[in-house]
Amino acid sequence: MLYNRNSDFKIVTEEHKDIPAISCRDVSVSFGAVSALSDISIDLPLGVIHAVVGQNGAGKTTFARVIAGIVKPDSGSLLINGKKIVLGSVASSRSTGIELVHQSFALPPSFTVAEALEYGSGGGIGLFKKRDLNNRWRRHLEALEMDIDPRHLIQDLPIELQQAVEIARALFSNANILILDEPTAVLSPSGIAGLFKRLRRLRDTGVTIILVLHKIREIWEIADTITVLRKGKLIDGPMELGWTKPESLAPMIMGAKSLKENISRKSDENSENKVLDQKAISTLLKSKKHALEIEGVSTETTDHEVSLENMSIKVYQDEIVGIAGVEGNGQVTLLRVLAGLSDISKGKIKICGQEVTHFNLSKRRLLGLRIIPFDRNMEGLSLTSELWENWVASELAVTPLIRWINPMKIKERCKISMSEWDVAYNSPEQKASDLSGGNCQKLILSRELNDEAGMVVAAQPTRGLDIGATNFVWTTLERARSRGCGVLLISSDLDELFKISDRILVMLSGSIIRELNPPYDLEKAGRAMVGESG
Amino acid sequence: MNGKIEIIIRPLVFILLATILCGIIFEIAGFSAILMFNSILDGAFLGSRSLEKSLRWALPLFITAVGVGISFRCGFFNIGAQGQFYMGSVCAVYVTEYMSGANAVIVIPLGMIAGMTGGALWSLWPGYLKLRYGVDEVITTLMSNFIAGLILVYVTSGPLKDQSGSGQQASTKILPSEFRISDASGVSLTIILITISVGITGWLIINRTSFGTLSSLAGRNPTMLKYQGGKIWQLGLVSFIISGMLAGLSGSIELFGPSGRVVSGFLPTHGFTAILVALVASYAVIGTAFSALFFGGLFSAALFLPIFTGLPTSAIDLFNAIIALLITARITLGKKFLRNRWSHSHD
Repeated sequence: MLYNRNSDFKIVTEEHKDIPAISCRDVSVSFGAVSALSDISIDLPLGVIHAVVGQNGAGKTTFARVIAGIVKPDSGSLLINGKKIVLGSVASSRSTGIELVHQSFALPPSFTVAEALEYGSGGGIGLFKKRDLNNRWRRHLEALEMDIDPRHLIQDLPIELQQAVEIARALFSNANILILDEPTAVLSPSGIAGLFKRLRRLRDTGVTIILVLHKIREIWEIADTITVLRKGKLIDGPMELGWTKPESLAPMIMGAKSLKENISRKSDENSENKVLDQKAISTLLKSKKHALEIEGVSTETTDHEVSLENMSIKVYQDEIVGIAGVEGNGQVTLLRVLAGLSDISKGKIKICGQEVTHFNLSKRRLLGLRIIPFDRNMEGLSLTSELWENWVASELAVTPLIRWINPMKIKERCKISMSEWDVAYNSPEQKASDLSGGNCQKLILSRELNDEAGMVVAAQPTRGLDIGATNFVWTTLERARSRGCGVLLISSDLDELFKISDRILVMLSGSIIRELNPPYDLEKAGRAMVGESG
Repeated sequence: MNGKIEIIIRPLVFILLATILCGIIFEIAGFSAILMFNSILDGAFLGSRSLEKSLRWALPLFITAVGVGISFRCGFFNIGAQGQFYMGSVCAVYVTEYMSGANAVIVIPLGMIAGMTGGALWSLWPGYLKLRYGVDEVITTLMSNFIAGLILVYVTSGPLKDQSGSGQQASTKILPSEFRISDASGVSLTIILITISVGITGWLIINRTSFGTLSSLAGRNPTMLKYQGGKIWQLGLVSFIISGMLAGLSGSIELFGPSGRVVSGFLPTHGFTAILVALVASYAVIGTAFSALFFGGLFSAALFLPIFTGLPTSAIDLFNAIIALLITARITLGKKFLRNRWSHSHD
């Protein structure tokens, strides 16, 4: 497979040796005082899958946005297929055949799938018959092997289907350069395989594809060339895959120095963990308690949520239980039920031994429940509010409404906590929207995982994070476990689940269908997730 | 902080833009814009005793706008301040009617408490409908204004009608002078003290209570607050009550102060203007003080306008309308800006 791809690559480059698909010259972008890209000059050959890699904040997304015309660079020029284009104009980029699939989806939430596709592909003005519209887009979706009803509202779709719609939109126009920003972050393993298959097929028809990616394994599976960015600078690229090795990529992405730091810190943490583990074992010997007990919980069927059916989960105080499953199998309902935001029709929920079935979230939080929601930007943080307000929200929400507070003291505490959790910030009065994804998640962790936490429900806690931040989140959850805190990790990333879960429950259509114990088998887990026995 | 400077600069830019646009319209209509603005400035701030006349409108506007700002901050677009203002004056006038012989030291505070209660209750039912059944508060609060207006007409031309009055305008009896807290000028130490204490209380509620912080979060992202265990309906109810109370207080001050009686269909439109005042000030209390002074000035200048320039009083409405337009444009632009920022922060 790899061999074939490389030979394809050579043919293509020989044919079009002189005209790169995209040619950047000295492109620089800065947002306020922050320099997002500095003097990027790069030629990306035609008809090839390019991976752009780097940590959070390396400038990958900005690079993609410059090419798509969404961000206007401060300086530099851009040639598409040998022709100079107007910078910072989506229309001009689109007219040369560039399409961008957004990382956070830009579909209008109140539209149906068909309407969003029609609107997004340039239609939408004039009269049309709803049925024609639905049929047309149903055919298009079927051709892409996407099982989506065009009559559904975008806002009712789970996040991975919204992404699928976004990809379908981009593929519909006759794009010759397709840019995908973190397309795999929300997909299940089979979804990723399907996506990669489609991308290869498109590449073979001559489309140039630019992928912004994090995961090294995926890069190796799909990319023809790799371009590494770090802190807005071009480190190397485009490198042909045959010329580099996975081992040499990590230092390039992280910077050799920070990699070393990371390793030494990790070994420190390991020794610390051992001490804590021994403590945990001694407490374990005294009594082993459940942090969470869900007994036979069912929910009513609604239009928006997959219902739960007779679900039972037990999490001990010192274990990480993973919930594996393709997204859209009731994980959102499970989280909402645990948070007391969705009603249950049957069953019981206990947190740290206390029944909480009819408790609201603030009472549950007082008993030690902590929640790291799916969508950090909408459910986890208020992006337009200041950092300290976000940080103190959970504390204030469980206390009486009219209570005197001293914002100066809260800001001081918030500063201390954020430094402890390694959040990169300027001032506690900054807006949360100023932080990068990794720092947003660290802010959430610093708020949720305080000493009183007894049971943490973490939903996709590392989605879209770089390697460094992902490790940070994993270590944090492992530490919570050694402190005697139960962890329920809801994730569609099997690597993540295999790495830190003590056992894994596989969820399908609102029920737990299988329990997996280490050593984990990727193939077995993958089959279980789609409901095949074996 | 950048954001804080922005909060000050933005309204000034709006006012400047509105001035230019208004000037163009006046010139087209054949009036001298320069003369017009001169007389507005004179009437509002520069002329002799004009600051006092501006304060007559600015003080109740400020009280009402602080309340409106508190409910807007929380994410509830309670535009029923006008009706709550009416109900405040109606409730207060009933107290004076039934306690007409009692000591003013008792009657005036009781009347104000009744006014606040009336305003709060009048804002409570749209608030309840919103929080319990999800009924759009913009529609219910807007309609509640008209209902309150009709109740006002009923009270002044029915049960509490001043029988001695002969004019076409029905009104309640004029209050005895010991029940008044100011003369017709509407500016007195009592009213100023009440206004200042409302300002201080409002500032403390917004900046120094958990309610203040939580309601700001609820206004910006209620979903996030729900995942924190926050009770949106509690926050909403409290903010509806506070804004109703302050509008009602303002209504009772109108009765005990400048008006001295409740006249059918003839009460100032403080409730509506207060919405503008609060929006221009971005719901901050100190900003509201300046913004109330500005709109109060416009209000008072409007009364002089016909005399000096031959323009109708409603020319000022044009000014207000343009500012309102610019602010609403800002709200939508702001959202767009926000979306872009979100996408950037994903990098």
